[in-house]
Amino acid sequence: MRILVVDDSTTMRRIISNSLRAVGFEDIVEAGDGQQALQVLEGVNLLLTDWNMPNMDGLTLVKTVRGSAATAQLPIIMITSEGARDEVMEALAAGVNDYIVKPFTKEVLGEKVRSIIR
Amino acid sequence: MDAQYINPFVVALVNALETMLNITPERGTPYLKKEGQTQGDISAIIGFAGPNVTGSVALSLPTPVALKFYSLMMGEKVYRITNDVQDVVGELANIVAGGAKTELSAQNITFNISIPTVVVGPGHTIGHKGDIPVMVIPFEIGKHRFVLEVTMKLE
Repeated sequence: MRILVVDDSTTMRRIISNSLRAVGFEDIVEAGDGQQALQVLEGVNLLLTDWNMPNMDGLTLVKTVRGSAATAQLPIIMITSEGARDEVMEALAAGVNDYIVKPFTKEVLGEKVRSIIR
Repeated sequence: MDAQYINPFVVALVNALETMLNITPERGTPYLKKEGQTQGDISAIIGFAGPNVTGSVALSLPTPVALKFYSLMMGEKVYRITNDVQDVVGELANIVAGGAKTELSAQNITFNISIPTVVVGPGHTIGHKGDIPVMVIPFEIGKHRFVLEVTMKLE
């Protein structure tokens, strides 16, 4: 079970990765923006992405992933500080499977991940 | 500045600290900022703008508070303000702005937020947009004080 964590904040990537390890997920790769994420997508089973990032933001990444036959079915969770209804609806329309609003606990993150991969 | 527009920022900060750092700061009495007044040693500033609002929010911390926040968030100690400490303070400000955005959207106040800018150095001043009054909300953790600054102009 390989999980790709995409966030432009190095510390937030570490927090998410450490939280995933704490709840039993060990195979984690990281990327600093959407463009970097596309370079390391092969073999990934779940994508966790921030929304606001330089170069390629999370929403564009989601649309790009969904637009490719090879990754169209990849489970995606967006983790972002923006939880306004319009943003959530836009992300869901773009193809995310679930949405986590920061701040979050590792228990919530673990439960969302398990729910998606069931 | 009406409290109903300031409270979402305060609630978002307290929620972030309680959820991610497991600490609850003591909130002081808000006051209007005087021109040129300095606050902490490290500040993260985020601007926001939408069809009916412009403004900015800044989280300003003394060094001991910034280091404490970092150690609680990352599970490791540091003894000076590193790039990672700056990243954590910027991320906290981002979570505050995002949380306030969510809350204010329910009052039909919608806006986009910028990526945080982090300023480091004792005695630095924070420049907010235009001539809008800046509300300062002080907090205390132990013997240390830190502040959230919010300015907002509704069209």
